[in-house]
Amino acid sequence: MAKVALKHIIGSKKELYKVVTALISQLNTTVWIEDETGKLLYGEKKDTNHSSYPVILDEEIVGHVKGDESGEIIASLLTQIIFKEAEKKNLGSEVLNLYQEINVIFNFTETLTQTIEPDIIARLTLEQAIHSVNSQSGVIVLWDDETKELQIPSAAGEPLFDKEKIGGNAALLLKIGLSGQSEIMTDIAILKEKGIIDESVQSIVYAAMKVKHRIMGAIILAGKSTEQFSAGHLKLLVTLALQSSAAIESALLFEKNIREVREREEAVLRLHEATKKFVPNEFIRSLGKDALTDVKLGDLAEKIVTVLFTDIRDFTSLSEKMTPEENFRFVSSFNARLGPIIRSHNGFINQYLGDSIMAIFPANANDALTAAIDMQRAVHTLNKERAESGLTPIKAGIGMHTGSLIMGITGDEHRLDACTISDTVNTAARIESLTKYYKSPLLLSQETFQEINTPHDFHIRHLGAVRLKGKNKLLNIIECFDGTDEKDFNNKIKTLADFTEAMNYYNDQQFEKAIHLFKML
Amino acid sequence: MAKKILIVDDEAHIRMLIEQTLEELEDEGVEFFTADNGESALQLIMDEKPDMVFLDVMMPKMNGMEVCRQVKQELKIEGVFIIILTAKGQELDKQKGQEVGADVYMTKPFDPEVLLNKAKEVLGIDS
Repeated sequence: MAKVALKHIIGSKKELYKVVTALISQLNTTVWIEDETGKLLYGEKKDTNHSSYPVILDEEIVGHVKGDESGEIIASLLTQIIFKEAEKKNLGSEVLNLYQEINVIFNFTETLTQTIEPDIIARLTLEQAIHSVNSQSGVIVLWDDETKELQIPSAAGEPLFDKEKIGGNAALLLKIGLSGQSEIMTDIAILKEKGIIDESVQSIVYAAMKVKHRIMGAIILAGKSTEQFSAGHLKLLVTLALQSSAAIESALLFEKNIREVREREEAVLRLHEATKKFVPNEFIRSLGKDALTDVKLGDLAEKIVTVLFTDIRDFTSLSEKMTPEENFRFVSSFNARLGPIIRSHNGFINQYLGDSIMAIFPANANDALTAAIDMQRAVHTLNKERAESGLTPIKAGIGMHTGSLIMGITGDEHRLDACTISDTVNTAARIESLTKYYKSPLLLSQETFQEINTPHDFHIRHLGAVRLKGKNKLLNIIECFDGTDEKDFNNKIKTLADFTEAMNYYNDQQFEKAIHLFKML
Repeated sequence: MAKKILIVDDEAHIRMLIEQTLEELEDEGVEFFTADNGESALQLIMDEKPDMVFLDVMMPKMNGMEVCRQVKQELKIEGVFIIILTAKGQELDKQKGQEVGADVYMTKPFDPEVLLNKAKEVLGIDS
């Protein structure tokens, strides 16, 4: 029962003061009221003979009403009133406790919503539990179903728990602490014996952390006195444990989801990177799409581009001397050298056709020609390396043509392929094969040369017009001799004027003069 | 002279809670008064000149803001420390509380410990 001082109910400002005054005056008597120490609270003391009637609360005398017999009625009235007052106080303190608990849970819930890190949730929970349950130390233990071990995401307060011993005594703790129960324990000799808790610990309280019917772990708090924990503490701890279990579970799920999404994203990215190597991004972008997954049968785009073909000369006789595997490695290493050159000049490889490459340059024809020159230089470098290994040099022919091209997705619903359909492609391939007859490694059509915006950067010779197989139109062929070896290059520069003159005679059908000049070269 | 605290709230359990929270001050000779509406709160403030008032906002007859405004700005009663207590989630009131001259603004549910410490601090009682 709560303590109530008599002066608090009979004080001069209290309603009761007026009622008692009225009552005493009605009874036409003079009594006075003293507290348990004899201090006067009401009326006037008289030294004459008088009776004394105690005011009792909870079997204790809290004061006296003194004077004549009517004091008895006043005393029993005050006893009743002070009892009611004490009851009210009891109720008040219980309500206050509940209110405090609500306040704790309210604030705790609010805190939990601000984090999704399991370890932080565990730490916040433990700090709150130690504070609210008024203990010296605590740990949170979680059972890891994958590793079959006890984890300790958080420990706080005085070092009364031995983390290593907790891990080493999982079976024992599982039997008591993680049974799904929540309780106050004072019989803790076994825990001390195993070294899990410090000798100074007198009692522990623990609450299971569970989600649905699965036990996740427990919050364990230690106290240094046997009477430290009450049923109210236990109840509050259980509430905190349940709240944090749900939060930790969601946080763990969240973490897992994030991890899985990231893994899936990486897999998709890898797939994307891989498909990019099979179907060039430039091709997909030309179709106005962002990803291969966006393209569909029948998508197409038309553009003016420069198509470049390159081919290894005499590959057939070269490959005869190699095993199929050596062949494959040879072609691969050749392609590996040329691919980066094409890309660095804004081109992309549309197709590998055995020992030949078909590349497309969507921007200026400059790109295609400079790429071709660099490719020729790369062949020279390769040949130097081959010479060192005692291998015969190889020659690569390059031909190019500029014109319109349709890129599209063809096939059927089960088998799609990126393809180009264009006469430009055929013409470029034919020009490339002309390199054999002209004995020149790098040929381009007049159409390509016209597209070049810096023609003076290049060294060229006009080789006249040819009619390609199956074509009516004549095609002017130009040789670019940049990138050839120094001797060849200088020769061609030296004879360029005469060669051009001879070509002019030839074009004028003055064949004799032309032949004469050509022979002199 | 004994220190006086006035607790104003239309909800009986809140009055009880605050009184219970501040119970130990009774032993220091602090006297408590309670009111369940703004009008009687204003009357008590004028009559008793309490050192400290815990004032709820949403109340019948006259709301807490108005009581505070009259005490601080119209009647200019000095030496009354007013703590406005209002339900959480009505934080908009905070600015209004400052405008009407409240000394401190607290939200419900309040932390009993904070409330008691504030009262001790204002009344100059050592904890």
